[in-house]
Amino acid sequence: MLMRKDAVIIGGGPAGLAAAVALHKLGVRDIVILERESQLGGILRQCIHDGFGLQRFGCSLSGPEYASIFIEEVRRLGIEYHTDATVVSLSAAREIEAVTPEGILCYHARAVVLTMGCRERSRGSVMIPGERPSGVFTAGSAQAYMNIYNRMPGHEAVILGSGDIGLIMARRLTLEGAHVNAVFEIQDHPNGLERNIVQCLEDYGIPLYLRHTVTDIHGNSRLEGVTVSKVDEHSRPIAGTEKFYPCDTLILSVGLRPDTELLLDAGIELDPRTHGASVDEHLMTSAAGIFSSGNVLHVHDLVDYVSLESEQLASSVSRYLSKGFSSDRALKVRCGRGIGSTVPQKVSSGDGFTLSLRFDAVMENVVVKVSQDGRDILKKRMRKANPAEMVRLDIGSGATACSGDLEVSVE
Amino acid sequence: MLQYSDAAIIGGGVVGSAIARELSRYDLSIAVIEENPDVVCEASGRNSAVVHGGFAYDRGSLKARFCVEGNRLMDELSQELGFRFIRCGKVLVGNTDEDLKQLERTISQGLDNGATGLELIDGQRLHELVPAVTGSFAMLSRNSGIMDPFLFTINLAENAAMNGARYFLSHKVISISRRNGRYIIHTPSDDFSVKWVFNAAGKGAKAISDMLGITGYNVIGSKGNYLVLDKRLGPLLPMPVYPVPSNTYMGIHVTPTVDGNVTVGPDAVNTDDFSYYGVPADRMEYLRESASALWPHIDRKDVIRTFSGILSKWVDRNGVIQDFRIEVRDDIAPCAVNLIGIESPGLTAAVPIACYAISLMAKREDLRLKDDFNPIHYTAKRFADMSEEEREKAIASDSHYGSLVCSCEKVTEAEIIRAIHNPLGVHTMTGIKYRTRAMMGNCQAGFCQMRIESLLEKELGLRAEDVRYLRGSSWVLAGKMREG
Amino acid sequence: MRKALTCIICPNGCPLEAEISDAGITVKGNLCIRGEEYAKEEVLDPKRTISSSIRLLHGDMEIVSVRLNRPVPKAMIFPIMEAIREARAEAPVHIGDVLIPDVLSTGADVIATRNVARVEEKV
Repeated sequence: MLMRKDAVIIGGGPAGLAAAVALHKLGVRDIVILERESQLGGILRQCIHDGFGLQRFGCSLSGPEYASIFIEEVRRLGIEYHTDATVVSLSAAREIEAVTPEGILCYHARAVVLTMGCRERSRGSVMIPGERPSGVFTAGSAQAYMNIYNRMPGHEAVILGSGDIGLIMARRLTLEGAHVNAVFEIQDHPNGLERNIVQCLEDYGIPLYLRHTVTDIHGNSRLEGVTVSKVDEHSRPIAGTEKFYPCDTLILSVGLRPDTELLLDAGIELDPRTHGASVDEHLMTSAAGIFSSGNVLHVHDLVDYVSLESEQLASSVSRYLSKGFSSDRALKVRCGRGIGSTVPQKVSSGDGFTLSLRFDAVMENVVVKVSQDGRDILKKRMRKANPAEMVRLDIGSGATACSGDLEVSVE
Repeated sequence: MLQYSDAAIIGGGVVGSAIARELSRYDLSIAVIEENPDVVCEASGRNSAVVHGGFAYDRGSLKARFCVEGNRLMDELSQELGFRFIRCGKVLVGNTDEDLKQLERTISQGLDNGATGLELIDGQRLHELVPAVTGSFAMLSRNSGIMDPFLFTINLAENAAMNGARYFLSHKVISISRRNGRYIIHTPSDDFSVKWVFNAAGKGAKAISDMLGITGYNVIGSKGNYLVLDKRLGPLLPMPVYPVPSNTYMGIHVTPTVDGNVTVGPDAVNTDDFSYYGVPADRMEYLRESASALWPHIDRKDVIRTFSGILSKWVDRNGVIQDFRIEVRDDIAPCAVNLIGIESPGLTAAVPIACYAISLMAKREDLRLKDDFNPIHYTAKRFADMSEEEREKAIASDSHYGSLVCSCEKVTEAEIIRAIHNPLGVHTMTGIKYRTRAMMGNCQAGFCQMRIESLLEKELGLRAEDVRYLRGSSWVLAGKMREG
Repeated sequence: MRKALTCIICPNGCPLEAEISDAGITVKGNLCIRGEEYAKEEVLDPKRTISSSIRLLHGDMEIVSVRLNRPVPKAMIFPIMEAIREARAEAPVHIGDVLIPDVLSTGADVIATRNVARVEEKV
């Protein structure tokens, strides 16, 4: 049976929950959240470390606690949600099919909110050479085994990649009695937040080796060890620098990618820089009425900003449902010197919006500039530019002119 | 324990399982002895999954004969055994005059071998068939195809098992003796007393042949590495694209899989280590570069996995690759069918090879057909392939169908549970993977492996530390974090 | 004695240098007063919170996630982990439930960070 909804929210993690609560508060009540796991909360359910909510709530919460604030709100407001509901198809015409143990749910939505989060890059996708024993885990899988399933991945670990989950897992494994040999990072700078370097590695004497990577995996049953090599400035392994580390567990924290399988099904345009949908300042994708926020749009480093972005999305959806958008122009937001990616990627009105960006390299004492046709709209001085940290800039309403692409760059 | 049977098949891969299945038509007790915990751990599950046409083998060879026969049989086998086979055709593309001559020779050889549906096509027709392919002309083999190599082998084995063959997995043969007209096959856990032995041990065939006393074979390994590309690429490649072949090496090709992925490979590197499946970094880059000369869509970002396989090639003193050898040496080892050098096209040719091997036994033994042999292997339709109405019905009959475990490949809990209780008693993580496709998608088990591991524990009553990934001591987890 | 630190109070991540002498501790490199306070505490008495899980009986999960409700001296981390490993809790539990009060007399409680429902023993 086809059900009609004002908004269907795909994904009940932090982004979907915040969007649902905000939509409800804006008066959009005919909504439903579809969550594939058996509980709401998304990836936060397995992030039991603290440090969430510092920006938003001014205190340091664990992931499940942060999620529960929104889950309680969803329940209190009586927002409809389905867990164990996996969306298996989405069309640009906003038709949705979800599979649940009670049967198939089919919706036709006036607006669709895509908040499916991200997935981890796997061993295959980063093409790590070597054999295929058991004992190679992505950091998030190891985290789920430990924090949800009460299972230990192994005893003697090496961690590849200094992303935040990798750092968190270095500490987590150590606290549970495993030995973490070292963390190796192919880039010349750590990929995680500074506080995680200090509190997850330095506190426990776990060395971090920059410009190193795993160049071979050994073992034809369980992992027996890895070969690690130094890399040159082009990230190519340097011959003669190989060192063997015996271990039974390799944890990969080699990057996150928006989980865009459904977007591809629906033919939604993606941005090769963020790997998520290409959106306008209303966070609307190339498909009319389909919006996106959180890690499926671009990978965030702080959940607080996922919530904030999803609330901004809710305002856009609410306006879209009541008035629609007059998108009489489509200006591009270009990434200039020093900028790795931006969201949004295009601008279609004179409305104010938040511009999120990532730098493409570590820099010091920079000025970030947003300009249009040679006219500076905004300039911000920053002591440090770190690609591991997302920067958000508020662009006031009316700041952009009717024509001329925007360029974001570093001076 | 000493197990008695009329015949033992050493090796449960595609050839061993084809022999088991074909032999289970007869009134015989059959034991299949396999060293791995599953039947697709070696070459049978590590190949291009192409059903070959039979044109790239020497005239008069067993390779040519069985390949052509196997190709013809494949529709019927696919129907009976319920594995996917698509007769999509394939092209061998060329650019030079020398290429053209070689393709003409290949067609002529193929026709002599009994292959059909072979023709030269011009560039325009080539580009209609496969957009974006690089090449001025091609040989089209209309009857070539692609198949699911895992379920072909597994379903042969399961069909054999359902017709009475007993599978002894994780049984490595360490020696064979002969007493009172019977062979005693020794493994660390069981011994087997049998009248007939089939040596279908693939990479271990030379060792088994030596144990039977048939010595002197020189077998080398030829390792092929592969890249696997994301399913988004499949629709861009309607059929396999090969370079111009020689009679001993097909060349690096790009091949769609029946599930919509694309595989790139194999290279061919000689090896004497038949258990090392590591894929080196330089080979990955080499594959990408070589295959990009045929097809332009090979990008690092679309690689989801790499793998390798090793062909066991019988070579003569000068290193020249020989034909399949299928023999009974009545003088040295009576009642032993010895299969040596079963390499490519062993997957296509598996059933004809099996029938030929059994015919050698039938010349020496009175075989009686059973009247209750059932050639049909029932396979439930995969949830991923069901229509919306079929899905509704499936969920209504079993709510586990409504619980998606692997969202990349749309595999449900009902299918995982059925795979866990497979007739061969395979209990590994990869056993579930090869039977269901769970964990084969883009996220490469990132989301679903925890649930699959839990289901293995729960359904089989295993402890966490007892769950195995693939072979040997490939434990998945160290155990519970908090006991008690 | 000098000690180099990175401030972790906010995303600025100021590189700090603490100079330790008889006269006390002087801090350089901080953009705000919180950096100075952080550096002094890191030198004199570094404190941390930790998160882990406690075995849960009769819950619909085998474990319940927990954390300390206030920081403890770094040296107490592993002794507290021992206490957490030994502990058992009974479902249901709710966020904020104190599962180990005043753990090892540190003044910090081990509190639940997840709601877990009770399930009756399956026969």
